[in-house]
Amino acid sequence: MRFDGRPRILSIETKWECPLPASIDILRGTLDVLVLKALSWGPSHGYDVARWIERATGDVLNVGEGTLYPALHRLRSKGWVRPSWGVSDNGRRACYYELTAQGRAQLRVERDTWTRYATAVFAALSAPANPV
Amino acid sequence: MSRGVERDIDDEIAYHLERRVAEYVAAGLDPIAARERAMQRFGQVSSVRDEAVRMERAYKRRQSARDLVAAVARDARVALRAILKSPGFAITSIVCIALGVGVTTMILSAVDAMLVRPLPYPNARQLVSVYAQNVSHDYHRVNVSYKDYVSWRDENRSLLALGIWTWATITITTGESERVSGAAVSANLFSLLGVRPMLGRGFRPEEERLASSDVVLLGYGLWQRRFGGDSSIVGRTISMDGRPHLVAGVMPPGFSFPDVGQFWMPFATDGPSSEPRNNREYAGAIGRLRPGVTVEQATTDLARVSAQLQREFPNENTGWAAEVMTLREDLTGDFRRPLFVFLGAVAFVLLIACANVANLTLVRGISRGRELALRSALGAARGDLVRQLFTESALIAVAGGVAGAVAGIWAVRLARLAFPNGVPFYFDFTVDARALAASALVIVMTAVLCGVVPALRVTKLDVNRALRDERARTGGSGDAHVSGRSILVVAELAISTVLVIGGALLVRSYRAYTHTDLGFDRAGILTARVTLPDQGYEASARRIALFTNLEARVRAIPGVRVVGSAQGIPFSGWDVQSDVWFDGRPPARPNEEFESHFQVVSPDFFPALGVALVRGRALAAADRDTLAPVAVVNESFVRRAYPNEDPIGKRVRFAPPESGQPWVTIVGVVRDYRHYRLPQPMGPALYMPYRMLPTRSQVLVVRTRLTNPYAIVPAMRAALHDLDPGLALYDVKTMDDAVNQSLWRQRVQSRVLAAFAALALLLAAVGLYGLVSYSVFQRTREIGVRVALGAQRGDVLALVYGHGGRLVLAGLAIGLTSGALLSRTLGSLLYEVAPIDVLSYALAACVIAAISFAALFIPARRAMSVDPSRAMRAE
Repeated sequence: MRFDGRPRILSIETKWECPLPASIDILRGTLDVLVLKALSWGPSHGYDVARWIERATGDVLNVGEGTLYPALHRLRSKGWVRPSWGVSDNGRRACYYELTAQGRAQLRVERDTWTRYATAVFAALSAPANPV
Repeated sequence: MSRGVERDIDDEIAYHLERRVAEYVAAGLDPIAARERAMQRFGQVSSVRDEAVRMERAYKRRQSARDLVAAVARDARVALRAILKSPGFAITSIVCIALGVGVTTMILSAVDAMLVRPLPYPNARQLVSVYAQNVSHDYHRVNVSYKDYVSWRDENRSLLALGIWTWATITITTGESERVSGAAVSANLFSLLGVRPMLGRGFRPEEERLASSDVVLLGYGLWQRRFGGDSSIVGRTISMDGRPHLVAGVMPPGFSFPDVGQFWMPFATDGPSSEPRNNREYAGAIGRLRPGVTVEQATTDLARVSAQLQREFPNENTGWAAEVMTLREDLTGDFRRPLFVFLGAVAFVLLIACANVANLTLVRGISRGRELALRSALGAARGDLVRQLFTESALIAVAGGVAGAVAGIWAVRLARLAFPNGVPFYFDFTVDARALAASALVIVMTAVLCGVVPALRVTKLDVNRALRDERARTGGSGDAHVSGRSILVVAELAISTVLVIGGALLVRSYRAYTHTDLGFDRAGILTARVTLPDQGYEASARRIALFTNLEARVRAIPGVRVVGSAQGIPFSGWDVQSDVWFDGRPPARPNEEFESHFQVVSPDFFPALGVALVRGRALAAADRDTLAPVAVVNESFVRRAYPNEDPIGKRVRFAPPESGQPWVTIVGVVRDYRHYRLPQPMGPALYMPYRMLPTRSQVLVVRTRLTNPYAIVPAMRAALHDLDPGLALYDVKTMDDAVNQSLWRQRVQSRVLAAFAALALLLAAVGLYGLVSYSVFQRTREIGVRVALGAQRGDVLALVYGHGGRLVLAGLAIGLTSGALLSRTLGSLLYEVAPIDVLSYALAACVIAAISFAALFIPARRAMSVDPSRAMRAE
């Protein structure tokens, strides 16, 4: 039994089924752009990224940690975010992610694409019947 | 590192959960519930963790690879800059490596093709060639007689099968007449070789009877060329020599036999009875050993059969036995010695190239000792210095290796051109990757190892001393000691001396060959063979008429001076020997017969070839009418048969008395001329008029006034076409070409070795130049002092040449001694030149000395232009 002051993470098969709020499963590309946006104000931890997305989207988008962390690693291997280890307020080792220059450029591109896409879809959905 | 990855991920997840729990606690949950809720929200911790670890590891792997590439690229850029500061060194190294790798690849590929790779037949190692041999006469690789073949075939216990074959030519008379060459083979030969026809069938045993032998197998190339690759040709008949022949099949592409055959017909006899047992003139035998049987066992086995034949047929077989050798030995035995000589030579060249690269790299490393010492003093880690020098050497080595591969490919292409009629199909003479890799590895290792040495040394040195002493070394004791580099240069000079000696010996041999008095005048002669088919030429009068008319028509062509004909011309491989019985002498005992070269010639043959008549008269036109059996012999015949008598009027014959053959009277003596491929000397020869023995095949010998005798070929073809459109002129070549082709191997040998010698010399000169240049550079200051103290230019020159000269003399001494020991290995390659040939040795010494003198000139000039005031100024 090792004890070094860190709680061991236990893998718990949870049986606890509570009705979670209705949520939309998020598309991978969408998540990426949101993560980039979340980091655009400065370096933050994965948890802060998740919280920001939850708050910013009114907790409609279901950003599970199971998708968030792979997303962060994916963005890192693309060279858009850079991890660095720091010490958190409570003295723990914590990993902070920050945008690279490439990541910022990517965010700009993605934001424009998304805006155009969403505008087009929205326009179509709110369009009247066949204009004669 | 991998532990680290897992720990990081664990920490990250732990932190995340902690924050989540804190969030829920802040929202009013008790800690336990909050923890459960947080876990719940997180989902499968283990799978998130595993995926994160996997991605992180992949990233790290990619990243470290990228870092490595970037680091190597950075090192390479630095190294390239350093190399470009002294491009001379880099280029010289690369050229040395390329030359070494190139020639080594060429020779190793040749050795591989000819001596190592199996012949292109299934289980080719079991295939043997069987010849007749007569040890007491020193006759080896003699063709086999049909009767002996049958006895060996039926009574041996060591062979799966034994086949017989002979060369054959035939004129295709479907469409335009064309003479093609091929072979007549026994029905079992193809199955024995393990080759099946691509279309149709092989020969049947019953087709070995003359009556049913008008069957032919076509080679793939001939089938494509003459019959457009039409497969319906199989089973049809085509006209050959004016007779219909059934096309039994087509052989697969790439197959050829014996070496350039394009068609095959059955080896047909009208039964063994018609053949004299001692007619060992025209056939070769090929067998396949039973599994597990060695060549030696087969030899013993056939010796048993031969001994039995000797007892049974003492007149024909006394002294004769079978000679068995592997088919490979038969095909490549002649190449073995030259190839081994080349292999030795090329090993030497590679050694020199390695020594050179080593020398250059070491010298350069040492001359950078100061730079390295400085960097080391400034805190560069030893590893960094080693890595940089390693990168520099590796760059040069790789560039050299690539250049060497290109050189090797070209060298092999060049070597393929050495074969006069193209590379025989049974040699797969292509670039051998293993040879290329091995030779490149040797030299690249040399370059890299020597490149790193200085870095290792400098880091061991006392840095301050290195900085101080770098150029303050005085020659008196510092440089006169024999350094490893001097030894390398002496070795290079010695080896190139050996190679130059070898090259000189072979070149002198080749000159001896080309300057051999052939006994005839080869300039302006064109030769061409005509062979008459059975059809329409059964009567000897027809044959005589055809050749007489043809000679007359060719004589009328402008530019032609004399036209004669003979059964065989010099260097064509046409060689008929006959036993001779003498009038008034008892018949010879078995195996002691007088043997003579036997030719059938037209009256003008000797003037056409330019062979002088020594005594008596030639086969003058009068002999055509009288048909008195007369003959002309050569001087060797007279020396051997009539040492103390006048041969004119003496009578001989070519069959035992009981045969009823008439006596033939000797009417003249001609000068000996070289008929056999050099160096074989001409023995006794006897010439009879064509009218007495009108055979089917004669070679026209046309003496012209033209510098290019080929110009009359169209007119000759037209003349022949007028007489009989079904005949073809073939084997058309000038006597000059025939002689040159017969010497191709000697020519190639001398050229290859001379090229190697030149290469070695060049490399050694570069090595010497490099070493002495460096020593002048090192002693600049000392030279400056000497000049300041009044030394004259001559003294400076003597200083440089004294240093270089000692090396050259040592190299020469060792080289000449080793050359004397090694030149014996050339043995049979030498012709009319002794292995210890003073001229070659003197020549080698002069060449080495002259080249060395030239190589030393540049550093000497540099030494003489040393400005004392600048040299004295400490850097």
